[in-house]
Amino acid sequence: MATRTIVEAPGVARRRRLDETYIGEWLMTTDHKKIGVMYMLTGFAFFLVGGIEALLIRTQLAVPNGKVLSPEIYNQIFTMHGVTMIFLFVMPTLTGFGNYIVPLMIGARDMAFPRLNAFGYWIVLFAGIFLNASFLFGAAPNAGWFNYAPLNELTTACGNAVMCTPGMNEDFWLLGILLLGISSIAGSLNFVVTILRMRAPGMTINRMPLFTWMTMVTAFLLLFALPSLTAASVMMLLDRHLGSHFYTFASGGDPLLWQHLFWSFGHPEVYILILPAFGMISEILPVFARKPIFGYTFIAWSGVAIGFLSFTVWAHHMFAVGLPPIAQAFFASSTTLIAIPTAVKIFNWIATIWYGKVSLKVPMLFALGFIAMFLIGGLDGAALALVPFDYQITDTYFVVSHLHYVLFGGSVFGIFAGVYYWFPKISGKLLNERLGQVQFWLMLVGVNLTFFSMHILGLLGMPRRIYTYPDNLGWNEMNLLQTIGAFTLGVAFMVFFWNLIVSLRSGEPAGNDPWDAFTLEWDTTSPPAHYNFETVPTVRSRRPFYDKKNPDIADWKTATH
Amino acid sequence: MSEEQDQRQPIAKAKKGRASQVTQEQALGPQKSFWPLGLAIALILLLFGIVSNSPIVMGIGVVLSIAAVIGWGLEQRK
Repeated sequence: MATRTIVEAPGVARRRRLDETYIGEWLMTTDHKKIGVMYMLTGFAFFLVGGIEALLIRTQLAVPNGKVLSPEIYNQIFTMHGVTMIFLFVMPTLTGFGNYIVPLMIGARDMAFPRLNAFGYWIVLFAGIFLNASFLFGAAPNAGWFNYAPLNELTTACGNAVMCTPGMNEDFWLLGILLLGISSIAGSLNFVVTILRMRAPGMTINRMPLFTWMTMVTAFLLLFALPSLTAASVMMLLDRHLGSHFYTFASGGDPLLWQHLFWSFGHPEVYILILPAFGMISEILPVFARKPIFGYTFIAWSGVAIGFLSFTVWAHHMFAVGLPPIAQAFFASSTTLIAIPTAVKIFNWIATIWYGKVSLKVPMLFALGFIAMFLIGGLDGAALALVPFDYQITDTYFVVSHLHYVLFGGSVFGIFAGVYYWFPKISGKLLNERLGQVQFWLMLVGVNLTFFSMHILGLLGMPRRIYTYPDNLGWNEMNLLQTIGAFTLGVAFMVFFWNLIVSLRSGEPAGNDPWDAFTLEWDTTSPPAHYNFETVPTVRSRRPFYDKKNPDIADWKTATH
Repeated sequence: MSEEQDQRQPIAKAKKGRASQVTQEQALGPQKSFWPLGLAIALILLLFGIVSNSPIVMGIGVVLSIAAVIGWGLEQRK
């Protein structure tokens, strides 16, 4: 019997396979670090897009009777600004941090499902392109980021072309959001399994870093919150294309059903956008105050409490629709209640830096800025829980101010704290400290210039989302001020991108542990090797790397946890 | 064994050692895969088919999605 042996001839040049090329390596990667970097780069690319949209909105509103954009384009721009910033910047960027940092923090070699992880990323990228491609079709979503019914219905459903959306605009929103939901569920499952099953030996739940804790809570929130949005979107697609009437009042449906379903996703979503930032701040403050975190258990479990309570507050977005008094009382109480675990975190953060040897490096500046700005947003939120007050300022610029203090003053400051803190681990280079400080102060001034006077504008009655306004309402100066603030923020981000380029090119080498930090991600090279750790570390306290560096005064020798 | 061979042996051993170390490192990390990207491309084609009302693009999207799911499932994992 003839046999045939295939032998590769020595010295014969072989064409490189796709996965062996530089581009192919990124396209086919399942490495959590590369995927994390891709998430972050994608997030910041969409941040640029959303930022340009914000500047267009502010340019239109800078002076009364503005004519920079047409009303139709203005509707599309403010809708896509919200969609882009929430779904395509903050969520992917925080997921990117989770992807990169969490496995390193818990001493794992990768995520539990690496291919699912890569799939989640590619879906985010393509869903972002899909949503933004709607501009090329002249049909970008235009009913606001929460896409209320019946604005999102076809004309046949509500009988009025002005009130409805006959074009494909809302189809882009619905399909894009469904796609992003698939990605979020894939990512969340991965985080939950990774965190629960792949921690290093000795890392009990009560020794997990707080960023890991908050990532886990966020993943659970996504898993439980997304189904209502998915159901709402599918029903809307059925209404629009298959003749059902879930949201049309005239045919026995109810437009408020959309609001209930959307906000039972939408309010947990607010915490999905902020909890990972809470986790970042809880990592950064102790390192730059040279103290262990104060009230670890309270910070961790207050995050869980926020997660639970976030499912009980959704109708505070709907007070003005005329809920029954008992429902108003319930949602007002639950919304007020959620301030308690949030305040627990803030008090513990303050106690962490109290009497600490505070070093005001840029990550710490952003962390402190986060606390101050988020506090303003949080107090606004507590005010909005009061039903009579809420009636007065519903759908005014007061609400715009509140959400931007939470999501910009909170999430975005948190993200930049994280960027400055972990950039040395990711790139091996330090970001320029001076440029970082310039960016921080520009952002702090910009955010308050832009958003603080929106409180007053809201109280004066300026509705959100209006295309323009007459010049005799006393709104002119504040609108101009807000536009100046928005452009100040634009300059701050240009400084950041410049810093990124300069530091990547010729930044100071970071070494493995530039901040003398406490957690495991710093106990490996910068950037880490493909396999993360040569040997999987063993954990004996909440600060394993601190223990390793200080064996004589290790936490496990003195602390009880 | 000649002196020359004696000198070469440790180098050969070291090379062999490094190669096996690299293999081990690769084994410790996850294997690369085209299917996550493939499935995402297929799904996005499907959606573009829907919004552009193009049955052909939609059909290609469906076929590629099925192919990608099968490819993903059958992929050999080390």
